[in-house]
Amino acid sequence: MAEWTMQEALNAALADCLADDDRTLILGEDVGRNGGVFRVTAGLQERFGEQRVFDTPLAEAGILGTAVGLCMHGFRPIAEMQFDGFTFPAFNQLAAHVSKLRTRSGGALNLPLTLRVPSYGAIRSPEHHSESIETFCAHLPSIKVVSPSTPSEAYALLRAAVADPDPVVFLEPKSRYWSREERVAGDDLVGAGARQSGADADAERGDGYASRIVRSGSDVTLIAWGACVQRCVQAAAFAAEDGVEVEVLDLRWLKPLDVDGLVASVARTRRAVVVHEAPVTLGLGAEVAALLGERLFGTLAAPVGRVGAPDMPYPVAALEDEYLPSPDRILLAIQRTFDAVAA
Amino acid sequence: MASHTFTLPDLGEGLVEATVLEWLVAVGDGVERNAPLVEVETTKASTELPSPAGGTVLELHAAEGETVAVGAPLFTLEIAAESGIVGTVPAEAPPTRRVRLRPPAAR
Repeated sequence: MAEWTMQEALNAALADCLADDDRTLILGEDVGRNGGVFRVTAGLQERFGEQRVFDTPLAEAGILGTAVGLCMHGFRPIAEMQFDGFTFPAFNQLAAHVSKLRTRSGGALNLPLTLRVPSYGAIRSPEHHSESIETFCAHLPSIKVVSPSTPSEAYALLRAAVADPDPVVFLEPKSRYWSREERVAGDDLVGAGARQSGADADAERGDGYASRIVRSGSDVTLIAWGACVQRCVQAAAFAAEDGVEVEVLDLRWLKPLDVDGLVASVARTRRAVVVHEAPVTLGLGAEVAALLGERLFGTLAAPVGRVGAPDMPYPVAALEDEYLPSPDRILLAIQRTFDAVAA
Repeated sequence: MASHTFTLPDLGEGLVEATVLEWLVAVGDGVERNAPLVEVETTKASTELPSPAGGTVLELHAAEGETVAVGAPLFTLEIAAESGIVGTVPAEAPPTRRVRLRPPAAR
């Protein structure tokens, strides 16, 4: 089979969503005629027409508000925020309406919308273009959050997000847009998002929000999603040179969290480190660490480690390599789990 | 010393071309790395491109007012040594490490 990039996989997923369901629409800044600043929607307006793939003004609250209204009239919109940092102008829609409308309407209104957000850093971009917004989104009730790590994962998870009956924030790791991978064939692809739970790598989980084990190991579990999965895979390869066997768990869904998958992996390794680009303080790693502490208090050999950013804004491009989780920082966190001694 | 021809970098956001508004250097000029070299205009904005390296300007490949495609030659510099190039999309560098792990004694 041929290879494809994540950008091509996302483009294919969007095309298949539009082809499969007439109620599916794509809206956002430059998604139509231009084909998206990262080419993710390239060719879709040409193929499906301006009624189904259309450009909006530069007004993110309007984009998301329009998507909410479309849902109320039976459509399944896929809205794009051009960059992570521009989700903040739309946050009132997210917090005040997307998160509440189903409850407010007593279940009469569902919001099957997908909000695509090119996310995270590492592409030497200017301010507002390298943010990690997963915690903000996952903290809101009734909103699901997912972030793929590879091209085929991106295809499968975007199809799952669009098919989901609830609003889903889909965080695309923009530093991985041009990463290549062998293309997985047809039906295997669509099912991929619902397989390979950390709880049982061979079993299909009914709920479809499973994590996946990227690499098996017995000494420590690295937990990540989106762009940081690749960072963990690199750190695991270095650790193997030192005789340390690292398990890498890709959460995929940040909400709902695959708690059973997390617990199953860490119950085996007894040590865990969560890796994300967002600041450590109140980052999603805090939630994962708390859950593991609650479920595995007697099993853990060390406190759950967290690798993330300091409490400062995302820096200028020249400094971002210092800010992002490096292999050395991940390895040091692993070492701390080995050196931990109970008081 | 080596001559190095630089192409119009990908200016991001899916833009495929830019128009040279003004050259800020002439053939024969010495330039420092990161010094403003040329002002270009895209459909989105006009922007100054910094010199990706220090050196001497050997050739300018487009006249002012001319439109250049992303990836087409823009200018040639004579460069003293490999001095690092900014303003290009960073290729994925192989990861490096310094930290070595000491595995736990008892598994």
